[in-house]
Amino acid sequence: MLSIHTTEQLLKAIALACAVLSILIGIWYIVRRPHLNRVTKSMLLLGLGAFPLIVSLTGNIASFEYTLSRPFCGSCHVMGPYLRDAEDPKSNSLAALHSRNHKFGENSCYTCHADYQMLGAITTKQNGMKHLFKYITEYASTGPDGEGGPAIHLYKPFKSGACMQCHSTTAKRYVEQHADQVEQIRSGEISCIDCHNDIHPLALSRRPGAGKEAAK
Amino acid sequence: MKHQMAKNMVLFSVIGTIVAMIFMASSIIFPHPLLLVLAMSIGQGIAIFALVLYLLAVALDLQSSGGSYVPFEEPPSIEAPPPAEASGPPPGVA
Repeated sequence: MLSIHTTEQLLKAIALACAVLSILIGIWYIVRRPHLNRVTKSMLLLGLGAFPLIVSLTGNIASFEYTLSRPFCGSCHVMGPYLRDAEDPKSNSLAALHSRNHKFGENSCYTCHADYQMLGAITTKQNGMKHLFKYITEYASTGPDGEGGPAIHLYKPFKSGACMQCHSTTAKRYVEQHADQVEQIRSGEISCIDCHNDIHPLALSRRPGAGKEAAK
Repeated sequence: MKHQMAKNMVLFSVIGTIVAMIFMASSIIFPHPLLLVLAMSIGQGIAIFALVLYLLAVALDLQSSGGSYVPFEEPPSIEAPPPAEASGPPPGVA
């Protein structure tokens, strides 16, 4: 039975219900072929206008919400090792630790990798389209974890801004522990992951083309 | 002529909408990245095109009927004339 616990599920249910209603009205018209009177036109306006509009709106929002989730990021097979490590309850990698955080763990990929600025969501989605293109053109026929494809790398250096969304650089304990580097970290000269680099250990060791890259 | 054209346009519009709805519903049920992108671009494109086609068809239909009110009922079917009353011969017949 369909259970609705989140807004995303509610939006999906609304979208599906409206899609079904729209299809039923369409089938009714094709089967009955009624005269184009006012009732028929009103019914068709619902079936071809109002319901599809609701499907578009709710479907877009629900889909956007889903694209933030970890299962969506892991739905391309090249992300398999990253996903398995992040979801491993015994793993102590940064990805796994952050994925276990109940505040944002379900969206851990997006939370850490999304661009961090006013237009961050848009540029992140643009990169997502680039990922999809690269996936189709370069990784589609590679091994189960993308073996045989080119090495996976970030488009640009990871910025500490993503970490600083939660980890304040002004907290007393943080300042005490990072006394020597705190100014350099704030200015971006040093990135958090320069030291805290146990991020995707399993994935990095198994990433496609890792052997070839190491040999260079 | 215009009325028949409008009916054909409505039929195409309905078929287009059904295709778009199946496409979009499938992307909601099976949210794979490629399907999502296709459904939310091509699917929505088809749905918008179908709606525009339908509105055009309605405009064409209204134009062909001269903007007159189209009644709720189906056009009256041709029926046999009512039988003559049996009360007597028609006037003027001896």
